[in-house]
Amino acid sequence: MEANNLNVIVGEGTCGIAAGSKEVIEAFRKHAPEMNIRTVGCVGMCHQEVITEINDGNGNRHIYGNVTKKTVPSIIKFHKGEGDLPEDQLIFSPDNQDLDKWRYLAHQTRIALRNVGYLDPTSISEYQARDGYKAIKKILADMTPEQVIEEVKISCIRGRGGAGFPTHVKWNFAKQSEGDIKYLICNGDEGDPGAFMDRSLLEGDPHNVIEGMLIAAYSFGASKGYAYIRAEYPLAVKNFGKAIKDAHELGVLGDNIQGTNFSFDIKIKEGAGAFVCGEETALIASIEGDRGMPRFKPPFPAIKGLFGKPTIINNVETLANLPWIINKGGKAYASHGTEDSKGTKVFALAGAIKKGGLVEVPMGTKIRDVLEDIGGGSSSDKPLKAVQLGGPSGGCVPENLFDTTIEYAAINATGAIMGSGGMIVMDESTCMVDLSKYFLSFTQNESCGKCTFCRIGTLRMRELLSKICDGHGEMEDIEALEELTEQIKKSSLCGLGQTAPNPVATTLKYFRNEYEAHIKDKRCPAGVCKSLITHTIISTDCTGCSLCEIQCPVNAITGQKKVKGSYVIDQAACINCGMCFEVCNSKAIKVE
Amino acid sequence: MSQSLEAKVEPEVVLDWINKIGSDSSSTVPLLQAVQSKYGYLPRVAMDLIIQNSDISGSQVYGVATFYSQFRLKPVGRHMIRICHGTACHVTGADRLDTSLRHILNITDEEQDTAENGSYTIEQVACIGCCSQAPVLVIADEVSGNLTGANAQRALKKHAKKNEEIVANI
Ligand SMILES: Cc1cc2nc3c(=O)[nH]c(=O)nc-3n(C[C@H](O)[C@H](O)[C@H](O)COP(=O)(O)O)c2cc1C
Ligand code: FES
Repeated sequence: MEANNLNVIVGEGTCGIAAGSKEVIEAFRKHAPEMNIRTVGCVGMCHQEVITEINDGNGNRHIYGNVTKKTVPSIIKFHKGEGDLPEDQLIFSPDNQDLDKWRYLAHQTRIALRNVGYLDPTSISEYQARDGYKAIKKILADMTPEQVIEEVKISCIRGRGGAGFPTHVKWNFAKQSEGDIKYLICNGDEGDPGAFMDRSLLEGDPHNVIEGMLIAAYSFGASKGYAYIRAEYPLAVKNFGKAIKDAHELGVLGDNIQGTNFSFDIKIKEGAGAFVCGEETALIASIEGDRGMPRFKPPFPAIKGLFGKPTIINNVETLANLPWIINKGGKAYASHGTEDSKGTKVFALAGAIKKGGLVEVPMGTKIRDVLEDIGGGSSSDKPLKAVQLGGPSGGCVPENLFDTTIEYAAINATGAIMGSGGMIVMDESTCMVDLSKYFLSFTQNESCGKCTFCRIGTLRMRELLSKICDGHGEMEDIEALEELTEQIKKSSLCGLGQTAPNPVATTLKYFRNEYEAHIKDKRCPAGVCKSLITHTIISTDCTGCSLCEIQCPVNAITGQKKVKGSYVIDQAACINCGMCFEVCNSKAIKVE
Repeated sequence: MSQSLEAKVEPEVVLDWINKIGSDSSSTVPLLQAVQSKYGYLPRVAMDLIIQNSDISGSQVYGVATFYSQFRLKPVGRHMIRICHGTACHVTGADRLDTSLRHILNITDEEQDTAENGSYTIEQVACIGCCSQAPVLVIADEVSGNLTGANAQRALKKHAKKNEEIVANI
């Protein structure tokens, strides 16, 4: 093969950069300056970053994973016909399309993510080459707003931001309400820790989101749009900003788009770090320059929203599905999924899972299939215990319910929620009481403080959970937690408070034994809660390497270097931070 | 220590932002973001300049500045270390990254987040969206993932060496 006919495609989403994509690109430039290099967003296989494809332009693709600057030369050599195929890194090749590593993508149905990882997000022409801006041109040429809403109604898509409200119903509200000007807001706040599909879409396929915004805006008559993007996502802000500029130049954004009387423009607003700002009314307050405090609904934003005008707020993933729905038809979208939940949903897999990343599957897939077939199961030698869905508003689904199908109603029946699609996978090393405490600290911190039950109630719950984790819990505390759960759910103003107790409710339901072990036996079965565990050194396993002594931040470990079994931990000084456990190469540290 | 870290604010820079970004209350967040991106925190002088030269009231400025977690009122060190404390990072050991970096920077007081020599400030943030590589931290603008306490220290030492910063407990 001629090296100068070869294209190198490097995944350069935030996760690719974290894994070292810049160095990989540098290595290609250095060792094979004749190859053309392109960068694309994250294809979703974050566990194999840096991902690099070598493509000969005739559709022959070789895809490699875990590429580093050191392994680049062997890849180049093979493609110049000078060396062997670097098999250990191979994910996909024309001769071997059935590799286990490739199953990750092969098992997915990608609609929202269809372009992410395939196109250069900074190139509008690459987006156009993949049917980009075809949908908006189509509706401007021969669809009325009513027809657009009808098509979206046929697709049965429900909002992917968490609440799952039918998209066309919301648009209809805004369509019918009076206003000289109407707004569309793209909710890119993605406050749920553990979910990152919106980041991936905003930075990896921004034009798709813009086109989705155009379709939504046309349907109910919005002329101004805001993209509210969290400030923690600098690359998303950058790529989205460039996309807006390029869309203007192409004439698909701005005044009188494609010579029609439809005008629509988008401004970016950077978030400033407040989870509650993902809530619609708080988000509006934040764009207006205020503290992001939710207000009572009604009036709903569709009637009276941003600057008092009719406003629709849609999630990034919801918007990303729209161009496909218009191009292929609502029926095609609805052919995926189940009666109650149509289409596909993107999930972010993270935690104790072998293959973490983004997956998009048809609704109705079993949780187990996502975790095992695609995610590859547990990343440790311990079995999976649960998966947390829906973040701070959601709950834990235990392993014995992994056959639950991914549908709104079925997931709600477990006590968790679909949410925005974060899946944090847990094995036995996660303590469910500690996890609940983590979520309650989160919601308590993030509560805007406007309503008493949310402000004080979540604080009380967190205090009770701390008490249990510290080993001072009593059985009455469980009842108190259950009562607070009911009260906070009933009395809070917005979704933050109404759902804040969910993580506690589900862990109490499925993992009550762990709470009881903390309370009755003063024991943390997962070995996490610092007050209830001790670290000791098994002297027969200690090789005397001294790593633990060097790492211990409080100098609680002493011993003689190179003398086997000489190291001991001073229990009075030990803070149970776990650093020794982490660095010990001979598994000589016991946690109990 | 914090004395020496106070930023010197040039009034004309702040006035220029007010001109460009806006002087009504809907500009509060972007104005404070501009200030913070330059100084790393919100110096009091800059806040006063905004209050005196725009239609934004003092309670609005301070209300907004204290509401959002992005804004800080305390000066920062020369480099920021952001440790993710999102869910994925929490269950995979974000706490250990904290402990180990505080240890080598010798930040012993829990209330403190900046090293004595003004080199680094440690900040805890919610999810940077790199959850599949948890636990994750960002030094200056560089994201690293799949960390243990020990290699978090290594990453910091590398950064310190490149930037000629002294890290206390090496
Ligand atoms: C506390 C809270 C936080 C939320 N955070 C987000 C978010 O980060 N992103 C998002 O799209 N929706 C979030 N939502 C849901 C939004 O309020 C809203 O329902 C959604 O953006 C509507 O878009 P959709 O109909 O396309 O789903 C949140 C809701 C609550 C109550
Ligand atoms: S939880 Fe740490 S990056 Fe998302």
